Amino acid sequence: MLSKLDKDIISLISQDIPLVKEPFKDLSLKLGIKQEILLKRLKFYKNKNLLRKFCASLNHRKIGFRYNAMAVWNISDKLIAQAGRIVASFGQVSHCYQREKADGWNYNLYSMIHGRLKKDCLGLVREISGKINCQDYQVLFSSQEYKKTAVRY
Amino acid sequence: MPISRPVKSKLSLLDKRILGCLQEDIAFVARPWKVASAKLNIKEDYLLKRIAFLKKQGIIRRISAIFSPGKINFISTLVAAKIAPQCIEKVAKRINLYPEVTHNYRRDAEYNLWFTLIARDVQRINQIISRIKQDKNIKKISQFPATRIFKINVKFPLKGL
Repeated sequence: MLSKLDKDIISLISQDIPLVKEPFKDLSLKLGIKQEILLKRLKFYKNKNLLRKFCASLNHRKIGFRYNAMAVWNISDKLIAQAGRIVASFGQVSHCYQREKADGWNYNLYSMIHGRLKKDCLGLVREISGKINCQDYQVLFSSQEYKKTAVRY
Repeated sequence: MPISRPVKSKLSLLDKRILGCLQEDIAFVARPWKVASAKLNIKEDYLLKRIAFLKKQGIIRRISAIFSPGKINFISTLVAAKIAPQCIEKVAKRINLYPEVTHNYRRDAEYNLWFTLIARDVQRINQIISRIKQDKNIKKISQFPATRIFKINVKFPLKGL
């Protein structure tokens, strides 16, 4: 169970932190708590896996990864656990989820792939499709990014 | 075409090392940049200057904590919509007004707009979707909530740039 303080901390540190030598001191002042308490809570969130990562988010296009492909496959329920693990094992795959299907949309295994070239992404999807033995798939490249922000908790 | 172009000047070897380091957890100590700069074998002040530069260039979007929404009692879902191509930008901008919308991409497929929603509960998710749905330019809208996470690990290799 998260306290009011936890909620305030989570809301604050989910946004860009100040770029100063002692960022946690600044943040703890804003929260009206001691820095020690804040650092302890951070370690607690990390140990409990609530906090996935505390790091820099990069603009992938600006570092050369211009292509962002969402590849989706239609996999039987029986095989999806194994297929998901195989897809996830590829370093170029940043996200891999099983998702519910919808009427007229039979894809249930989703992955995000970032590549420097379009053909790199397509080649990888072909390779993965061979490994998981599924040719019922689509590759959806993003053609415009309308929004990409931190979550507001 | 993607909106932002790669930076023209190549990143220095040091900047690549810095970006590699900053894609890992920062230390939960009073002076995290001192710890990182020691790993990189540079001065703390210099690291802060390089980070400021990389932020100004838009290479670093932000430095922040990333939580698993489900583990802090939030609900996340993926939503896709079919929209007439000539109105897609207008519709996307209206959807973006909801702070619960974190990512929103045009993808040239049957469903041509894909966005993620993270909200405090299912009621709020449904409320947002039903409000968005009222837009006559949206022909169909579907929700694809995740039922299992196999991987989340965003890390870009910087070698060879």
